[in-house]
Amino acid sequence: MANVRIRSLTKRFGGKTPTTAIDDLDLAIEEGEFLVLLGPSGCGKTTTLRCIAGLETAEEGAISFGERAVFDASRSINVPPNKRNIGMVFQSYALWPHMTVRKNIGYPLRTRRVKRDQAAQWIDDVAALVDTTPLLDRYPAQLSGGQQQRIALARGLVARPELVLFDEPLSNLDARLRDQVRTEIHELHGRLGFTAVYVTHDQVEALALGDRLAIMRSGALEQLAPPDVIFEEPATEYVAGFIGMGNRLVFERHDGAWWLDGERVDGDLDGIAAGSTTVVARTRPEDLDLLEPGRDGAGPGALAFPVTVLDAAFGGRHLDVAVTTGTTRLLGRIDAGERGGWPRTLERERHAVATVKPRDLAFYDGDDRLVSGVGRAVGAGV
Amino acid sequence: MATQAAPRPAALPWLRLDRLLTRLGLIAFICAIGYLTIVPLIRLQYLALKNGAHSYSDAYTRTGWWQTVRWTVELGLGSLAIALVVGTGLAWAAHSLPPRLSLLRVIPILPIVIPAVSSVLGWAFLLSPHPGYLNQLLRLLPWWHGFDGPFDIYTVPWIIIITGLALASFIYLFVSSGFENINGELIEAAQVGGSSRAGVFFRVVLPLLRPSLVYGAGVALLLGLGQFTAPLLLGRSRIISVLTTDMFFATQQIPPDYGLAAAIGSPLLVFGIFILFMNRVLLGDNTRFITHGGKGGFRQSAPGSKSAAAVIVLYGLLSTVLPILALVFVSLSRFWTGDVHFNRLTLGTWRTVTTQSGVMPAIWNSVWLSLAAVAITLPVGFIAATLLRKRREHRIAAPVLDFIVAMPLSIPAVIFGVGFLMTYTARPLVLYGTRWVLILVYVTLMIPFSTRMQLGAMAALGDAYTEASRASGAGPLRTNFQIVMPLLRPAFGGAAALMFVLLTHEFAASLLVRAPTINVMGTILYDYYENGIYPLVACISLIMVGVTTAGVVAAMVLGGGSDAFKRL
Ligand SMILES: Nc1ncnc2c1ncn2[C@@H]1O[C@H](COP(=O)(O)OP(=O)(O)O)[C@@H](O)[C@H]1O
Ligand SMILES: [Mg+2]
Repeated sequence: MANVRIRSLTKRFGGKTPTTAIDDLDLAIEEGEFLVLLGPSGCGKTTTLRCIAGLETAEEGAISFGERAVFDASRSINVPPNKRNIGMVFQSYALWPHMTVRKNIGYPLRTRRVKRDQAAQWIDDVAALVDTTPLLDRYPAQLSGGQQQRIALARGLVARPELVLFDEPLSNLDARLRDQVRTEIHELHGRLGFTAVYVTHDQVEALALGDRLAIMRSGALEQLAPPDVIFEEPATEYVAGFIGMGNRLVFERHDGAWWLDGERVDGDLDGIAAGSTTVVARTRPEDLDLLEPGRDGAGPGALAFPVTVLDAAFGGRHLDVAVTTGTTRLLGRIDAGERGGWPRTLERERHAVATVKPRDLAFYDGDDRLVSGVGRAVGAGV
Repeated sequence: MATQAAPRPAALPWLRLDRLLTRLGLIAFICAIGYLTIVPLIRLQYLALKNGAHSYSDAYTRTGWWQTVRWTVELGLGSLAIALVVGTGLAWAAHSLPPRLSLLRVIPILPIVIPAVSSVLGWAFLLSPHPGYLNQLLRLLPWWHGFDGPFDIYTVPWIIIITGLALASFIYLFVSSGFENINGELIEAAQVGGSSRAGVFFRVVLPLLRPSLVYGAGVALLLGLGQFTAPLLLGRSRIISVLTTDMFFATQQIPPDYGLAAAIGSPLLVFGIFILFMNRVLLGDNTRFITHGGKGGFRQSAPGSKSAAAVIVLYGLLSTVLPILALVFVSLSRFWTGDVHFNRLTLGTWRTVTTQSGVMPAIWNSVWLSLAAVAITLPVGFIAATLLRKRREHRIAAPVLDFIVAMPLSIPAVIFGVGFLMTYTARPLVLYGTRWVLILVYVTLMIPFSTRMQLGAMAALGDAYTEASRASGAGPLRTNFQIVMPLLRPAFGGAAALMFVLLTHEFAASLLVRAPTINVMGTILYDYYENGIYPLVACISLIMVGVTTAGVVAAMVLGGGSDAFKRL
């Protein structure tokens, strides 16, 4: 089993504001793969996960686990969740408050009629795995959030299901714990080799955990690829925006030069534009740099254009600076430099020159198609 | 689009059968509840419409018919008005209480706990024109003299006042439980914005509660129109009748005329169903309103007010303490003459109460029949609530079930009483003369309470626990037994205790469906009242209060606590 195929899945919700939560979704998850569903809130990630679990019934389409059809609208097949042999970790943990931790973890074994001594062994194993052995005889109400999260994890894994579903399991933890548990989940997957579908809206989590990321938008797939590909070659501006490329630059060619919102751009984009007069570029704040006007320092081939500072916030090693050029608003995360240096003097109304290397930009044509990904920009007139 | 012609998995036929059985079970369940709640009403209408609806023409052309209708409307609207004013005032007072007196909040709920018969009789002992204790006291005042008066409990205004005071409890419940679901910050925002506490209450809180207040008023109006106890016990001597008592007398004449009774009750039936629909229209999917509203409620920002405490204590005095004191006095007297001679008080009646004909069996019947009905209604309500939770899965069944489950709440118990009498004296199920009729009528009357309370508790519990169980490999049965039921145990306790309390009070339906040999506390009380043996009547009333109190204490112990009554 354990590869999952989703074909033409469509799920609508009725009610006062009818929504199509999943819109003709096709997705294949390989055996042992860690697939992350990533997207903003409301794009249908949870609904997709719940359809895979059998907690939600879609209107159209089919889902199969290996050879076994667990859902098929056209053949009226809908295997209930308890017969799908899955493990699931909920955002709210959903630990049963009237059972001890041991009972909570052991529940999936009881439902699967695992023999008592073997069950006890498996519970001990998984508790050791998530480092919660001393907590086994407590009640969930006596645990901290991080501990509850680990118990929920243990409960999802204890029966050694081939498919484990996670719905934003870390979103209720504070930042430090989140990093720690995330690492643990990654290790556990490496060790146990289950197939995982993991829902999150956090790109850091997604990049760290996923073998592949499925970026969702309005119930459909926008891009499905390994994290490095997503990172470097976001297929659409939507993906780019979601993966951290918040800066959007629209370059236009006229009068023998390239312009950004009315400001002349120092540098050449002809190689990328390949004849067209407009290109849209996306970049991360980290890749936008600011220079003192009149100072040289832009690297070879870099694009440079004048900007006005809107706001600068100190962040330790870096400064977060918001700037405008024309009506385009950009964010730059620049090196804070030393005390008394030029960056520290930045404040509202100051003028600066923004520079960005073409190899740090992802370019899109007028139809929102990727022309050139990060690190691939060619012919930028080096 | 089944592109793959994959061989069908072996599990498939089994799944189909499973689904078929589930559906059959669902239909059987709905039919069973429908048989209890709908069939009696249909039988009644059938009877009233037989022979060219002559029961209707009979009923609506009798002398005194329009007077009866007028009195009914007066009772309904008058008691509603009193209830709204007093109930909202009480809620306002309860929320202005000083923190250390917050226990007083229970007082306005007491009239729901005290059996209606008991408090009505208590009032009769207080305000009977000549011997009423309160009247005698008032006659001592210089500006009142004469042999009778100044008040006469056996008149329409007093029937209205007493009913209104009792219904005020319901309004209080609606308004004050509404408070708890209001986001506290909303109120604090208004206070910060410069409103006084009264301003916040009347300009922010009440408008926010409007949907539930309108619904509460509808329910109170229904209860007022369907009021039976007070008009029956107090309206007798002046021949004041309302629709419910009129129905009752139609069944008591010889030979009984059930068609006539049905025709008389029809306006109440129609109005009840109307309110039921209005409720659905106004509140929509009511499951959304039952959830716990997070950190709701008021925090005391201003020091509490003493006058608020006084208002509540006064209400408690009038609605509960005085009637019970009157009952105690009468029960300790040899006869009810109204004379208060502390040195002539006697425990005589109390010593012999257990030997009086029929009293002990009636007490036991009340207790056991109520317990049996609770034992049946609890699981029925659980199943109904479970199905109603899955509204999306049962698009047709859920609304139907919702409707038939809510029916007994909006139709006066008297109508159900007549309907049951009709239904179970005829085939296919002839149960009249057995205790089963009483049990069935009790089950029917309690189904809405059981369902609503459990539905509320399930909504508060949310879906995550059950979904986690299903995803862990547990089927619906195991999920219900090992997850849902243990978690709902406090709600079960609360619901059971509330139903027990309401059933040991039950008067109207019991009076109609009882056989001469099978009495419960309320009916034996009525018999002795009819025969004028007042000390004994007072005794039995107090025993009813005692049994009820035991039920309430059980509720507290079983964990539902005072919340149980607010979950309605
Ligand atoms: N039970 C429901 N009833 C109605 N609409 C729902 C329900 N669950 C989800 N939706 C809608 O479906 C869409 C997708 O929701 P969801 O899958 O929860 O998104 P995500 O998990 O990506 O935040 C949203 O527009 C949401 O409002
Ligand atoms: Mg979600």
